[in-house]
Amino acid sequence: MSIERFLNNSVTSWMAGEGEHADIVMSTRIRLARNLTGYRFPLSFTENEALQVDQAISAVLLDAEAELESTFSYIDIKELSALNRQVLVEKHLISPKLAHSEVAGSVLLSDDEAVSVMVNEEDHIRIQCIFPGMQLNEAWRQANHIDDVLEKELPYAFDEQFGYLTSCPTNTGTGLRASVMMHLPALTMTKQMDRIVTAITRLGMVVRGIYGEGSEALGNVYQVSNQTTLGKSEEDILTDLQSITEQIIQKEREARAALLHTRPNVLEDRLYRSLGVLTYARLLSTEEAGRCLSDVRLGIDLGLIKGVDVSILNECMVFMQPGFLQKYAGTSLQPEERDVFRAKLFRERLQVDNNLDNEGEEPHDV
Amino acid sequence: MICENCKQRPAKVTVTQVQNGDQVQRHYCEVCAKNFHPFHLDFQQDPLSLHQLLSNWFGVPESKQVQQKPQPESKTCSSCGWTFRQFLNQGKFGCAHCYESFHKQLPDVFKKLHNGNVKHVGKAPGTFGQTLQLKKQIEAIRTSMRTAIEIENFEEAARLRDEARSLEEQLQSGGENRDVH
Repeated sequence: MSIERFLNNSVTSWMAGEGEHADIVMSTRIRLARNLTGYRFPLSFTENEALQVDQAISAVLLDAEAELESTFSYIDIKELSALNRQVLVEKHLISPKLAHSEVAGSVLLSDDEAVSVMVNEEDHIRIQCIFPGMQLNEAWRQANHIDDVLEKELPYAFDEQFGYLTSCPTNTGTGLRASVMMHLPALTMTKQMDRIVTAITRLGMVVRGIYGEGSEALGNVYQVSNQTTLGKSEEDILTDLQSITEQIIQKEREARAALLHTRPNVLEDRLYRSLGVLTYARLLSTEEAGRCLSDVRLGIDLGLIKGVDVSILNECMVFMQPGFLQKYAGTSLQPEERDVFRAKLFRERLQVDNNLDNEGEEPHDV
Repeated sequence: MICENCKQRPAKVTVTQVQNGDQVQRHYCEVCAKNFHPFHLDFQQDPLSLHQLLSNWFGVPESKQVQQKPQPESKTCSSCGWTFRQFLNQGKFGCAHCYESFHKQLPDVFKKLHNGNVKHVGKAPGTFGQTLQLKKQIEAIRTSMRTAIEIENFEEAARLRDEARSLEEQLQSGGENRDVH
């Protein structure tokens, strides 16, 4: 399997817009942090240790392809150009930390891109599973299975008191970070997010915008994840996150219904204006594109906007980022040129949808 | 000129961005400028700024860290050579052995980070689980052996002693021989 496929194939499995509560939950991610005994952590180990760790882990995983019922591709980070690393980061297949790594690091990617095992990131092993929609248990089962396969062959750094030993003390214990990526436009519009963020923080969980930085979450996309990893079993962590997420989904649905009920014209006007901007604009900044994408997606979910594919938000939030835009343009772009190409990308994307729609509606008209 | 962001209000604020060495000027109205934040994907910084939090909890003022020399009593990890102070400053462990080296100070650190928890609950590697099970089994046999001695049932005590011994051998050979009786 060539590396090019992962770079050129823009759509990845977690963007599918399916799974439970797919109108609100965009994707679910499970990450397990593990280290081998006998080697220091990547922060302090030697280049030689890095190589040995890299070889040991990839050998075990590539040997276990049959047992795991999937094929993995080994990608050496050092052999990737800066742009290609950025593309993998934008697809959420590797972390920014691994992309900037200076030691021997690699990623093992499953063919469907749902599983990525990062080697020599902050820890020796980072198992990551991303599924579309709300699938905490499914993603956990898969990550746990890979962990079981690796632990049979590799001696893990584990301690009776502290559990799995990780480089960062915020991961010590289960090494598990479970997160759910949610689109919450109505809660943001009705200014309820601040209250929710405060309440959730008290329960040992974190909410933050995953695109952009600063006070507002770009595209109204938020990530809810567990903060506590020590003294709480995997099952409890997942159950608590599931229950919090379901409550937020419920609140978002209520807020959407209230918006639609109280000022339907104002809402419909706003959502269609955004569709107009995405369809016809010649210059699109990241902020404006994020806001309009969120509006269009809300319009689709509420049944107001028809003929646009639901995966538009999941996909375009990724494609409009600098790495993908430059891949799409085939050349490096200055910031103002990016706005031009971003607008072009959206026009083409929406054009494609319209054509498909017309074909579907008027098959007899040929 | 109108605001580039809302395309409604007049632009009153000019933001100069420098990206890849090139300057770009953006024009925003006062309302949008207030909300303006550049879109960074390259967030390399730990959002928690953990080292800062840890340092503050343990009374190391952020600004003085540079001048302070490592104190002689500061513990050093024999495997990676990191000191406890270095752990606090970086907010990370250098190796798995650090957990043992800084064992005494760690419960306080974890209490702050994990809602007061200091002990792992949950999954353990399979091999580790087997060893742990054997250890517990041996401990249980020893307890009943002591009871047997107290009630002067020496025959039973001898049998239990042999059983514990065979399990100990198993433990040392890596738990391979699973036939206990």
